[in-house]
Amino acid sequence: MEVNVTYETQHLWTTWFAVYLYLGGLGAATMTITFLTDMYLKSHKTLAIWGALTGLMMVGGGSALLFIHLANHAAVVHVLNPLAIFFKPDAWIAWGTQFISWMMIASLLYILPYMIESPVLTKLPLIKTKIVSRLGSVAGSGNLHKILGMLAALSGLGVAVYTGLLLQSFPAVALWNNPGVPILFTVSAFSTACALLILIMHTFMGRDEQDNLLRRLYERADILLLATELLVIFLFYMYLTRGSISARVSADLLFHDLGWLLGFIGLGLLTPFLLELKSIFSGGHGGNHISTIAAAIFVLIGGFLLRDYFMAAGIYVYPT
Amino acid sequence: MTRYAMLIDLNTCVGCNACMAACAIENQTPVWKNVWRTYVHDQEIGIGNDVRRRFFPRLCNHCENPPCLTVCPTGATYQRPDGLVLIDDNLCMGCGACEMACPYRARYELTYTDIREGKVFYGNLRRTSPGYDKCNFCAQRIDAGRKPACVETCVGASRLFGDLDDPHDYVAKMAASGIAQPLMPQLGTRPHVYYINEMKRDV
Repeated sequence: MEVNVTYETQHLWTTWFAVYLYLGGLGAATMTITFLTDMYLKSHKTLAIWGALTGLMMVGGGSALLFIHLANHAAVVHVLNPLAIFFKPDAWIAWGTQFISWMMIASLLYILPYMIESPVLTKLPLIKTKIVSRLGSVAGSGNLHKILGMLAALSGLGVAVYTGLLLQSFPAVALWNNPGVPILFTVSAFSTACALLILIMHTFMGRDEQDNLLRRLYERADILLLATELLVIFLFYMYLTRGSISARVSADLLFHDLGWLLGFIGLGLLTPFLLELKSIFSGGHGGNHISTIAAAIFVLIGGFLLRDYFMAAGIYVYPT
Repeated sequence: MTRYAMLIDLNTCVGCNACMAACAIENQTPVWKNVWRTYVHDQEIGIGNDVRRRFFPRLCNHCENPPCLTVCPTGATYQRPDGLVLIDDNLCMGCGACEMACPYRARYELTYTDIREGKVFYGNLRRTSPGYDKCNFCAQRIDAGRKPACVETCVGASRLFGDLDDPHDYVAKMAASGIAQPLMPQLGTRPHVYYINEMKRDV
Protein backbone atom coordinates (compact mmCIF):
# COMPACT_ATOMS: atom_id res chain seq x y z
CA MET A 1 0.00 0.00 0.00
CA GLU A 2 1.17 3.50 -0.80
CA VAL A 3 2.14 5.18 2.47
CA ASN A 4 4.30 8.01 3.69
CA VAL A 5 7.37 6.85 5.54
CA THR A 6 9.69 8.46 8.03
CA TYR A 7 13.30 7.54 8.58
CA GLU A 8 14.08 7.39 12.26
CA THR A 9 16.87 6.26 14.54
CA GLN A 10 15.94 4.61 17.81
CA HIS A 11 16.25 6.17 21.26
CA LEU A 12 15.87 3.04 23.38
CA TRP A 13 19.15 1.15 23.10
CA THR A 14 21.61 4.03 22.89
CA THR A 15 25.17 4.53 24.18
CA TRP A 16 24.53 2.56 27.36
CA PHE A 17 23.67 -0.45 25.21
CA ALA A 18 26.81 0.08 23.10
CA VAL A 19 28.77 -0.06 26.38
CA TYR A 20 27.02 -3.35 27.24
CA LEU A 21 27.83 -4.86 23.84
CA TYR A 22 31.41 -3.60 24.07
CA LEU A 23 32.13 -4.84 27.58
CA GLY A 24 30.34 -8.14 26.90
CA GLY A 25 32.27 -8.87 23.71
CA LEU A 26 35.62 -7.64 25.02
CA GLY A 27 35.38 -9.37 28.40
CA ALA A 28 34.22 -12.67 26.93
CA ALA A 29 36.85 -12.74 24.18
CA THR A 30 39.57 -11.87 26.72
CA MET A 31 38.61 -14.88 28.82
CA THR A 32 38.44 -17.17 25.81
CA ILE A 33 41.89 -16.16 24.59
CA THR A 34 43.59 -16.39 27.99
CA PHE A 35 42.06 -19.77 28.85
CA LEU A 36 42.91 -21.27 25.45
CA THR A 37 46.43 -19.86 25.81
CA ASP A 38 46.79 -21.38 29.28
CA MET A 39 45.42 -24.76 28.19
CA TYR A 40 47.02 -25.24 24.77
CA LEU A 41 49.81 -22.71 24.12
CA LYS A 42 51.69 -21.94 27.30
CA SER A 43 50.68 -22.63 30.88
CA HIS A 44 50.39 -19.13 32.29
CA LYS A 45 48.58 -18.80 35.62
CA THR A 46 49.08 -15.04 35.99
CA LEU A 47 47.70 -14.36 32.52
CA ALA A 48 44.71 -16.64 33.16
CA ILE A 49 43.95 -14.79 36.42
CA TRP A 50 44.30 -11.38 34.74
CA GLY A 51 42.15 -12.45 31.81
CA ALA A 52 39.45 -13.99 33.96
CA LEU A 53 39.24 -11.14 36.48
CA THR A 54 39.19 -8.34 33.89
CA GLY A 55 36.74 -10.37 31.79
CA LEU A 56 34.50 -11.00 34.79
CA MET A 57 34.51 -7.31 35.73
CA MET A 58 33.65 -6.26 32.18
CA VAL A 59 30.93 -8.82 31.54
CA GLY A 60 29.56 -8.30 35.06
CA GLY A 61 29.56 -4.52 34.60
CA GLY A 62 27.88 -4.78 31.20
CA SER A 63 25.24 -7.18 32.51
CA ALA A 64 24.57 -4.87 35.46
CA LEU A 65 24.02 -2.02 33.00
CA LEU A 66 21.47 -4.10 31.11
CA PHE A 67 19.76 -5.13 34.35
CA ILE A 68 19.43 -1.50 35.49
CA HIS A 69 17.65 -0.67 32.23
CA LEU A 70 15.06 -3.45 32.53
CA ALA A 71 11.50 -2.26 33.11
CA ASN A 72 10.66 -5.13 35.46
CA HIS A 73 13.71 -6.26 37.43
CA ALA A 74 12.00 -9.11 39.27
CA ALA A 75 11.07 -10.86 36.00
CA VAL A 76 14.75 -11.32 35.11
CA VAL A 77 14.55 -14.66 36.92
CA HIS A 78 12.71 -16.08 33.87
CA VAL A 79 15.69 -15.53 31.59
CA LEU A 80 18.26 -16.70 34.17
CA ASN A 81 16.49 -20.06 34.25
CA PRO A 82 18.73 -22.48 32.27
CA LEU A 83 15.60 -23.97 30.69
CA ALA A 84 14.95 -20.60 28.98
CA ILE A 85 16.93 -21.73 25.91
CA PHE A 86 14.58 -24.71 25.53
CA PHE A 87 11.45 -22.58 25.91
CA LYS A 88 12.80 -19.80 23.69
CA PRO A 89 15.53 -21.24 21.42
CA ASP A 90 14.85 -18.49 18.86
CA ALA A 91 15.64 -15.62 21.27
CA TRP A 92 19.29 -14.64 21.30
CA ILE A 93 19.01 -12.79 24.62
CA ALA A 94 18.04 -16.12 26.22
CA TRP A 95 21.17 -17.77 24.75
CA GLY A 96 23.34 -14.78 25.63
CA THR A 97 22.20 -14.79 29.25
CA GLN A 98 23.01 -18.49 29.57
CA PHE A 99 26.40 -18.07 27.86
CA ILE A 100 27.24 -15.21 30.24
CA SER A 101 26.10 -17.12 33.33
CA TRP A 102 28.01 -20.31 32.48
CA MET A 103 31.08 -18.38 31.38
CA MET A 104 31.23 -16.49 34.68
CA ILE A 105 30.77 -19.61 36.81
CA ALA A 106 33.21 -21.76 34.81
CA SER A 107 35.88 -19.04 34.62
CA LEU A 108 35.76 -18.41 38.36
CA LEU A 109 36.15 -22.13 39.05
CA TYR A 110 38.92 -22.40 36.44
CA ILE A 111 41.10 -19.74 38.06
CA LEU A 112 40.27 -20.71 41.66
CA PRO A 113 43.16 -23.21 41.92
CA TYR A 114 45.51 -20.51 40.58
CA MET A 115 44.16 -17.89 42.99
CA ILE A 116 44.76 -20.18 45.96
CA GLU A 117 48.44 -20.45 44.96
CA SER A 118 48.85 -16.74 44.24
CA PRO A 119 50.75 -14.91 47.01
CA VAL A 120 48.84 -11.69 46.32
CA LEU A 121 45.32 -13.10 46.04
CA THR A 122 45.59 -15.35 49.12
CA LYS A 123 45.58 -12.13 51.13
CA LEU A 124 41.92 -11.72 50.18
CA PRO A 125 39.68 -12.86 53.06
CA LEU A 126 37.45 -15.27 51.11
CA ILE A 127 40.30 -17.13 49.43
CA LYS A 128 41.63 -18.38 52.77
CA THR A 129 38.40 -20.11 53.79
CA LYS A 130 38.28 -23.90 53.87
CA ILE A 131 35.34 -24.14 51.47
CA VAL A 132 37.12 -22.10 48.80
CA SER A 133 40.34 -24.08 49.27
CA ARG A 134 38.44 -27.36 48.93
CA LEU A 135 36.50 -26.08 45.90
CA GLY A 136 39.78 -24.89 44.36
CA SER A 137 41.50 -28.23 44.76
CA VAL A 138 38.49 -30.08 43.26
CA ALA A 139 38.22 -27.64 40.34
CA GLY A 140 41.95 -27.92 39.69
CA SER A 141 41.98 -31.67 39.39
CA GLY A 142 42.97 -33.05 35.96
CA ASN A 143 40.14 -33.38 33.49
CA LEU A 144 37.65 -31.26 35.42
CA HIS A 145 39.97 -28.26 35.18
CA LYS A 146 40.21 -28.67 31.41
CA ILE A 147 36.46 -29.14 31.08
CA LEU A 148 35.88 -25.92 33.06
CA GLY A 149 38.39 -24.08 30.87
CA MET A 150 36.73 -25.33 27.67
CA LEU A 151 33.26 -24.49 28.99
CA ALA A 152 34.38 -20.95 29.85
CA ALA A 153 36.19 -20.50 26.51
CA LEU A 154 33.28 -21.79 24.42
CA SER A 155 30.74 -19.77 26.42
CA GLY A 156 32.98 -16.72 25.90
CA LEU A 157 32.93 -17.35 22.16
CA GLY A 158 29.15 -17.66 22.43
CA VAL A 159 28.89 -14.29 24.19
CA ALA A 160 31.05 -12.57 21.57
CA VAL A 161 28.94 -13.99 18.71
CA TYR A 162 25.67 -13.32 20.58
CA THR A 163 26.31 -9.57 20.76
CA GLY A 164 26.13 -9.48 16.96
CA LEU A 165 23.33 -12.01 16.56
CA LEU A 166 21.16 -9.96 18.89
CA LEU A 167 21.34 -6.94 16.59
CA GLN A 168 20.90 -9.15 13.53
CA SER A 169 17.50 -10.29 14.78
CA PHE A 170 15.82 -6.91 14.17
CA PRO A 171 14.42 -7.11 10.62
CA ALA A 172 13.35 -3.48 10.29
CA VAL A 173 16.91 -2.12 10.26
CA ALA A 174 19.05 -2.99 7.24
CA LEU A 175 22.30 -2.01 8.99
CA TRP A 176 21.70 -4.65 11.65
CA ASN A 177 19.67 -7.33 9.89
CA ASN A 178 22.45 -8.98 7.90
CA PRO A 179 24.99 -11.76 8.53
CA GLY A 180 27.87 -9.29 8.48
CA VAL A 181 27.00 -7.95 11.94
CA PRO A 182 27.81 -11.09 14.00
CA ILE A 183 31.01 -11.52 11.99
CA LEU A 184 32.04 -7.89 12.51
CA PHE A 185 31.23 -7.90 16.22
CA THR A 186 32.99 -11.24 16.82
CA VAL A 187 36.12 -10.14 14.96
CA SER A 188 36.05 -6.81 16.81
CA ALA A 189 35.59 -8.56 20.18
CA PHE A 190 38.67 -10.73 19.63
CA SER A 191 40.67 -7.85 18.18
CA THR A 192 39.97 -5.65 21.22
CA ALA A 193 40.68 -8.62 23.51
CA CYS A 194 44.10 -9.11 21.89
CA ALA A 195 44.74 -5.38 22.33
CA LEU A 196 43.71 -5.53 25.99
CA LEU A 197 46.00 -8.49 26.64
CA ILE A 198 48.91 -6.75 24.86
CA LEU A 199 48.24 -3.71 27.05
CA ILE A 200 48.10 -5.77 30.25
CA MET A 201 51.28 -7.67 29.37
CA HIS A 202 53.14 -4.45 28.55
CA THR A 203 52.06 -2.62 31.69
CA PHE A 204 50.79 -4.58 34.69
CA MET A 205 52.63 -7.85 34.07
CA GLY A 206 56.11 -6.30 33.97
CA ARG A 207 57.14 -7.28 30.43
CA ASP A 208 58.55 -10.68 31.34
CA GLU A 209 61.06 -11.71 28.62
CA GLN A 210 59.59 -15.21 28.64
CA ASP A 211 56.32 -13.76 27.43
CA ASN A 212 57.85 -12.18 24.31
CA LEU A 213 56.64 -14.99 22.08
CA LEU A 214 53.10 -14.72 23.46
CA ARG A 215 53.07 -10.94 23.03
CA ARG A 216 54.21 -11.28 19.42
CA LEU A 217 51.54 -13.91 18.81
CA TYR A 218 48.81 -11.61 20.13
CA GLU A 219 50.14 -8.74 18.03
CA ARG A 220 50.13 -10.82 14.87
CA ALA A 221 46.67 -12.17 15.63
CA ASP A 222 45.48 -8.60 16.14
CA ILE A 223 46.89 -7.54 12.75
CA LEU A 224 44.95 -10.33 11.06
CA LEU A 225 41.79 -9.42 12.97
CA LEU A 226 42.16 -5.71 12.15
CA ALA A 227 42.68 -6.56 8.47
CA THR A 228 39.54 -8.72 8.54
CA GLU A 229 37.62 -5.93 10.22
CA LEU A 230 38.73 -3.43 7.57
CA LEU A 231 37.58 -5.85 4.87
CA VAL A 232 34.19 -6.36 6.56
CA ILE A 233 33.75 -2.57 6.89
CA PHE A 234 34.47 -2.22 3.16
CA LEU A 235 31.86 -4.92 2.46
CA PHE A 236 29.39 -3.06 4.67
CA TYR A 237 30.06 0.12 2.68
CA MET A 238 29.31 -1.69 -0.57
CA TYR A 239 26.17 -3.32 0.86
CA LEU A 240 24.78 -0.19 2.52
CA THR A 241 25.36 2.26 -0.32
CA ARG A 242 23.63 -0.06 -2.79
CA GLY A 243 20.93 -1.43 -0.51
CA SER A 244 17.43 -0.52 0.64
CA ILE A 245 16.37 2.96 1.77
CA SER A 246 17.11 2.01 5.40
CA ALA A 247 20.60 0.86 4.38
CA ARG A 248 21.33 3.97 2.34
CA VAL A 249 20.29 6.37 5.08
CA SER A 250 22.52 4.41 7.51
CA ALA A 251 25.38 4.66 5.02
CA ASP A 252 24.83 8.42 4.78
CA LEU A 253 24.93 8.73 8.57
CA LEU A 254 28.07 6.64 8.97
CA PHE A 255 30.20 7.54 5.99
CA HIS A 256 29.58 11.28 6.25
CA ASP A 257 30.53 11.38 9.91
CA LEU A 258 34.08 12.30 10.89
CA GLY A 259 33.78 10.37 14.14
CA TRP A 260 33.15 7.17 12.18
CA LEU A 261 35.66 7.90 9.40
CA LEU A 262 38.52 9.37 11.40
CA GLY A 263 37.69 8.03 14.86
CA PHE A 264 36.71 4.42 14.16
CA ILE A 265 38.21 3.62 10.75
CA GLY A 266 41.21 5.99 10.98
CA LEU A 267 42.23 5.87 14.62
CA GLY A 268 40.61 2.59 15.68
CA LEU A 269 41.51 0.37 12.71
CA LEU A 270 44.02 1.82 10.24
CA THR A 271 46.43 3.46 12.70
CA PRO A 272 46.90 0.41 14.98
CA PHE A 273 47.03 -1.85 11.90
CA LEU A 274 49.90 0.21 10.47
CA LEU A 275 51.65 0.56 13.85
CA GLU A 276 51.55 -3.18 14.47
CA LEU A 277 52.60 -3.89 10.89
CA LYS A 278 55.57 -1.54 11.33
CA SER A 279 56.49 -3.39 14.51
CA ILE A 280 56.64 -6.67 12.58
CA PHE A 281 58.71 -5.28 9.73
CA SER A 282 61.12 -3.66 12.16
CA GLY A 283 61.87 -7.13 13.54
CA GLY A 284 59.95 -7.33 16.79
CA HIS A 285 58.87 -4.77 19.32
CA GLY A 286 61.86 -4.34 21.59
CA GLY A 287 62.19 -0.63 20.88
CA ASN A 288 58.52 0.04 20.11
CA HIS A 289 57.05 -0.15 23.56
CA ILE A 290 55.13 3.14 23.30
CA SER A 291 53.76 2.49 19.82
CA THR A 292 52.59 -1.00 20.86
CA ILE A 293 50.73 0.43 23.84
CA ALA A 294 49.31 3.26 21.72
CA ALA A 295 48.13 0.79 19.07
CA ALA A 296 46.38 -1.30 21.73
CA ILE A 297 44.64 1.77 23.19
CA PHE A 298 43.50 2.87 19.70
CA VAL A 299 42.04 -0.58 19.04
CA LEU A 300 40.14 -0.44 22.34
CA ILE A 301 38.74 3.02 21.51
CA GLY A 302 37.79 1.83 18.01
CA GLY A 303 35.92 -1.17 19.39
CA PHE A 304 33.66 1.06 21.44
CA LEU A 305 33.14 3.57 18.61
CA LEU A 306 32.07 0.75 16.29
CA ARG A 307 29.27 -0.33 18.61
CA ASP A 308 28.19 3.18 19.53
CA TYR A 309 27.93 4.23 15.89
CA PHE A 310 26.16 1.02 14.96
CA MET A 311 23.48 1.58 17.59
CA ALA A 312 23.08 5.23 16.60
CA ALA A 313 22.94 4.70 12.83
CA GLY A 314 20.28 1.98 12.64
CA ILE A 315 17.43 3.39 10.57
CA TYR A 316 13.78 2.39 10.92
CA VAL A 317 11.48 3.11 8.00
CA TYR A 318 8.12 3.65 9.67
CA PRO A 319 4.84 3.98 7.78
CA THR A 320 3.04 7.12 8.96
CA MET B 1 -9.59 -22.51 12.36
CA THR B 2 -9.96 -18.82 13.10
CA ARG B 3 -7.42 -16.16 12.12
CA TYR B 4 -8.53 -12.77 13.30
CA ALA B 5 -7.75 -9.70 11.22
CA MET B 6 -8.70 -6.05 11.05
CA LEU B 7 -9.62 -4.07 7.96
CA ILE B 8 -9.21 -0.30 7.96
CA ASP B 9 -10.78 1.73 5.16
CA LEU B 10 -8.89 5.01 4.83
CA ASN B 11 -11.76 6.44 2.74
CA THR B 12 -14.16 6.45 5.65
CA CYS B 13 -11.92 7.39 8.57
CA VAL B 14 -12.94 10.90 9.58
CA GLY B 15 -10.20 11.39 12.17
CA CYS B 16 -12.54 11.73 15.14
CA ASN B 17 -10.11 9.74 17.34
CA ALA B 18 -12.99 7.94 19.06
CA CYS B 19 -11.09 4.69 18.50
CA MET B 20 -8.16 6.04 20.50
CA ALA B 21 -10.42 7.10 23.35
CA ALA B 22 -12.35 3.82 23.40
CA CYS B 23 -9.13 1.81 23.36
CA ALA B 24 -7.57 3.91 26.11
CA ILE B 25 -10.52 3.38 28.44
CA GLU B 26 -10.92 -0.30 27.60
CA ASN B 27 -7.22 -1.11 27.95
CA GLN B 28 -6.10 1.53 30.46
CA THR B 29 -3.25 2.90 28.35
CA PRO B 30 -0.91 5.62 29.69
CA VAL B 31 -2.61 8.51 27.90
CA TRP B 32 -1.11 11.03 30.32
CA LYS B 33 2.20 10.64 28.50
CA ASN B 34 0.52 10.60 25.06
CA VAL B 35 1.07 6.88 24.54
CA TRP B 36 -1.67 4.85 22.84
CA ARG B 37 -2.25 1.32 21.66
CA THR B 38 -3.85 2.73 18.54
CA TYR B 39 -3.07 6.12 17.06
CA VAL B 40 -4.61 8.06 14.15
CA HIS B 41 -2.00 9.96 12.17
CA ASP B 42 -3.28 13.18 10.65
CA GLN B 43 -1.47 13.77 7.38
CA GLU B 44 -1.36 16.34 4.64
CA ILE B 45 -0.32 14.75 1.36
CA GLY B 46 0.71 16.51 -1.81
CA ILE B 47 2.30 19.80 -2.83
CA GLY B 48 1.15 23.31 -3.77
CA ASN B 49 -2.62 23.53 -4.24
CA ASP B 50 -2.91 19.79 -4.73
CA VAL B 51 -2.95 18.87 -1.06
CA ARG B 52 -5.31 16.46 0.62
CA ARG B 53 -5.78 15.37 4.22
CA ARG B 54 -5.62 11.74 5.25
CA PHE B 55 -6.27 10.00 8.54
CA PHE B 56 -4.14 6.93 9.00
CA PRO B 57 -4.99 4.72 12.00
CA ARG B 58 -2.15 2.56 13.29
CA LEU B 59 -1.96 -0.30 15.80
CA CYS B 60 -0.20 -3.60 16.37
CA ASN B 61 -0.44 -5.62 13.15
CA HIS B 62 -0.69 -9.01 14.90
CA CYS B 63 1.78 -10.40 12.38
CA GLU B 64 1.64 -14.05 11.45
CA ASN B 65 5.44 -14.05 11.59
CA PRO B 66 6.03 -11.52 14.39
CA PRO B 67 9.65 -10.37 14.94
CA CYS B 68 8.69 -9.25 18.46
CA LEU B 69 7.86 -12.84 19.36
CA THR B 70 11.11 -14.38 18.19
CA VAL B 71 13.33 -11.90 20.06
CA CYS B 72 11.43 -12.12 23.37
CA PRO B 73 13.78 -14.02 25.73
CA THR B 74 11.27 -14.98 28.41
CA GLY B 75 8.35 -16.10 26.27
CA ALA B 76 6.28 -13.15 27.51
CA THR B 77 5.22 -12.43 23.94
CA TYR B 78 3.21 -15.33 22.55
CA GLN B 79 0.84 -16.10 19.71
CA ARG B 80 -2.54 -17.69 20.11
CA PRO B 81 -3.80 -20.20 17.54
CA ASP B 82 -6.31 -17.57 16.39
CA GLY B 83 -3.41 -15.30 15.40
CA LEU B 84 -3.52 -12.83 18.28
CA VAL B 85 -0.06 -11.77 19.46
CA LEU B 86 -0.27 -11.15 23.19
CA ILE B 87 1.97 -10.32 26.16
CA ASP B 88 2.07 -12.20 29.45
CA ASP B 89 2.65 -9.32 31.90
CA ASN B 90 4.11 -11.60 34.55
CA LEU B 91 6.84 -12.95 32.27
CA CYS B 92 7.85 -9.62 30.67
CA MET B 93 11.08 -8.22 32.12
CA GLY B 94 10.98 -5.14 29.89
CA CYS B 95 14.27 -5.59 28.05
CA GLY B 96 12.94 -3.66 25.05
CA ALA B 97 13.99 -6.21 22.41
CA CYS B 98 10.39 -6.42 21.15
CA GLU B 99 10.21 -2.66 20.66
CA MET B 100 13.52 -2.76 18.79
CA ALA B 101 12.28 -5.62 16.60
CA CYS B 102 8.86 -4.22 15.71
CA PRO B 103 8.95 -2.55 12.28
CA TYR B 104 5.59 -0.84 12.95
CA ARG B 105 6.42 0.92 16.24
CA ALA B 106 3.48 -0.76 17.93
CA ARG B 107 4.97 -1.30 21.38
CA TYR B 108 5.64 0.96 24.32
CA GLU B 109 7.21 0.68 27.74
CA LEU B 110 5.30 0.80 31.01
CA THR B 111 7.52 1.87 33.89
CA TYR B 112 7.07 1.61 37.65
CA THR B 113 6.00 5.28 37.53
CA ASP B 114 3.36 4.49 34.88
CA ILE B 115 1.92 1.76 37.09
CA ARG B 116 1.72 4.22 40.00
CA GLU B 117 0.19 6.98 37.88
CA GLY B 118 -2.17 4.50 36.22
CA LYS B 119 -3.59 3.54 39.60
CA VAL B 120 -4.36 7.21 40.25
CA PHE B 121 -5.70 7.85 36.73
CA TYR B 122 -7.89 4.77 36.27
CA GLY B 123 -8.58 3.90 39.89
CA ASN B 124 -8.55 0.16 39.51
CA LEU B 125 -5.57 -0.56 37.23
CA ARG B 126 -5.54 -4.15 35.99
CA ARG B 127 -1.85 -4.22 35.14
CA THR B 128 0.30 -4.64 38.24
CA SER B 129 3.85 -5.00 36.87
CA PRO B 130 5.93 -2.82 34.53
CA GLY B 131 7.12 -4.10 31.17
CA TYR B 132 6.00 -3.74 27.57
CA ASP B 133 2.50 -3.28 26.22
CA LYS B 134 0.70 -3.09 22.89
CA CYS B 135 -2.67 -3.64 21.22
CA ASN B 136 -4.13 -7.09 21.90
CA PHE B 137 -7.10 -6.73 19.51
CA CYS B 138 -9.10 -6.50 22.77
CA ALA B 139 -8.65 -10.24 23.37
CA GLN B 140 -10.80 -10.00 26.50
CA ARG B 141 -13.72 -8.70 24.42
CA ILE B 142 -13.19 -11.17 21.55
CA ASP B 143 -13.22 -14.05 24.03
CA ALA B 144 -16.54 -12.70 25.31
CA GLY B 145 -17.97 -12.69 21.78
CA ARG B 146 -17.62 -8.95 21.24
CA LYS B 147 -15.65 -6.81 18.81
CA PRO B 148 -12.55 -4.79 19.70
CA ALA B 149 -13.40 -1.45 21.33
CA CYS B 150 -12.00 0.60 18.43
CA VAL B 151 -14.07 -1.33 15.90
CA GLU B 152 -17.27 -1.06 17.93
CA THR B 153 -16.89 2.69 18.43
CA CYS B 154 -15.82 3.66 14.88
CA VAL B 155 -18.42 6.14 13.60
CA GLY B 156 -17.45 5.83 9.93
CA ALA B 157 -17.31 2.00 9.99
CA SER B 158 -13.74 2.50 8.93
CA ARG B 159 -12.58 -0.37 11.10
CA LEU B 160 -13.95 -3.85 10.53
CA PHE B 161 -12.99 -7.02 12.34
CA GLY B 162 -13.15 -10.48 10.85
CA ASP B 163 -11.77 -13.95 10.26
CA LEU B 164 -9.33 -14.56 7.40
CA ASP B 165 -10.22 -18.26 7.36
CA ASP B 166 -13.93 -17.63 6.81
CA PRO B 167 -14.52 -17.37 3.03
CA HIS B 168 -17.83 -15.53 3.62
CA ASP B 169 -16.24 -12.90 5.85
CA TYR B 170 -16.04 -9.42 4.31
CA VAL B 171 -12.57 -8.77 5.77
CA ALA B 172 -11.27 -12.07 4.35
CA LYS B 173 -12.76 -11.28 0.94
CA MET B 174 -11.17 -7.82 0.83
CA ALA B 175 -7.80 -9.20 1.91
CA ALA B 176 -7.95 -12.04 -0.62
CA SER B 177 -9.00 -9.71 -3.46
CA GLY B 178 -5.91 -7.54 -2.99
CA ILE B 179 -8.04 -4.40 -2.59
CA ALA B 180 -7.02 -4.38 1.06
CA GLN B 181 -3.30 -4.62 1.63
CA PRO B 182 -1.03 -4.93 4.67
CA LEU B 183 1.75 -2.50 5.56
CA MET B 184 5.30 -3.25 4.46
CA PRO B 185 4.66 -6.84 3.28
CA GLN B 186 8.21 -6.98 1.94
CA LEU B 187 9.46 -7.54 5.49
CA GLY B 188 7.82 -10.96 5.56
CA THR B 189 5.95 -10.31 8.79
CA ARG B 190 2.54 -11.15 7.20
CA PRO B 191 0.48 -8.58 9.13
CA HIS B 192 -3.15 -9.20 10.05
CA VAL B 193 -4.16 -5.56 9.70
CA TYR B 194 -5.23 -4.64 6.18
CA TYR B 195 -5.83 -1.20 4.69
CA ILE B 196 -8.03 -0.04 1.84
CA ASN B 197 -6.12 2.84 0.32
CA GLU B 198 -7.96 6.10 -0.21
CA MET B 199 -9.32 6.92 -3.63
CA LYS B 200 -7.95 10.12 -5.13
CA ARG B 201 -10.77 12.64 -5.34
CA ASP B 202 -11.41 16.39 -5.42
CA VAL B 203 -13.21 17.92 -2.48
